[in-house]
Amino acid sequence: MKLAWLFGPTLEQRHLLLVYLSVWLIQGGYFAWLATQWLRTIRNPPSTSGPPSQPSR
Amino acid sequence: MRHTRIAAAIGIAWFTLNLALIAYATRLGLFLSPTDAMQGNIGRVFFYHVPTSIWALVFPYINFIASVFYLYWRRRDPLKALTADAWALASAEITVVYATICLWTGMLWGRAEWGIWWTWDARLTSMLLLWLLYVSYLMLRKFSSTGQTYTLAAVLSIFAAVDVPIVYESIRLWPTQHPAPVFYGAPGTGLDKSMYPAFNWNILAWGMWGIFLLVFRYTLERRRQASEQDAALAAIEASLEIAQ
Repeated sequence: MKLAWLFGPTLEQRHLLLVYLSVWLIQGGYFAWLATQWLRTIRNPPSTSGPPSQPSR
Repeated sequence: MRHTRIAAAIGIAWFTLNLALIAYATRLGLFLSPTDAMQGNIGRVFFYHVPTSIWALVFPYINFIASVFYLYWRRRDPLKALTADAWALASAEITVVYATICLWTGMLWGRAEWGIWWTWDARLTSMLLLWLLYVSYLMLRKFSSTGQTYTLAAVLSIFAAVDVPIVYESIRLWPTQHPAPVFYGAPGTGLDKSMYPAFNWNILAWGMWGIFLLVFRYTLERRRQASEQDAALAAIEASLEIAQ
């Protein structure tokens, strides 16, 4: 498996690499956001002393 | 507690297997599948763009079905309605993620192959409309402060689902700039047999990933709903104590 062709200077090569990288970035970014929200709810359980917040999402 | 542990174990196993599948499918698409005779290596965008686009037209239906159930249950059984609403929210977010990838990878391919980033072709326009509809669905949920937010969102989701078959059929009904259908298209069209492994493994890998994200997001929303209910109960109890 040769990687050199993938990192070439032509527009096609740059855009192909960008497609594959941006898919991982978008999917990975969304997963990271979900994981952050998940960990936040574990570390900072919501306060039960006040009224419920307006459903935002 | 035991159920939670089993679910967590399944989730971790699914996630690990899925990452391996994505790596394998990517290797097939980038390195092992033959180069497209007409397009050259830029044709390898196909192995990410098409599977993602297919899933971007599947998740809206989960959103649609969940929204219909929400509307049905919202007065009959509010707890079931909340479950349906969590599925609706999760599937709308996954739709936006997949539709974003579909549009962005399509633009990158178009710039390399057509020489332009965008054209108001029927497929591109209807897909952009789909993306805008689900972004507006999420914006509505995020910023609306009426007590009818979930209901309004569910109704919007039903309207948004109408666009899905239009996106699918657009390249058959109004063939212009976007490539003609590769599957179920005119005679003589189709994918070379040697390209099917890369395509099929990418369909499977990104489908499994979408389902993983869907269940993860659903679980997260259910936790938020549960904590909100706890807070509401605590507030009621506190107000009763003050009254006494």
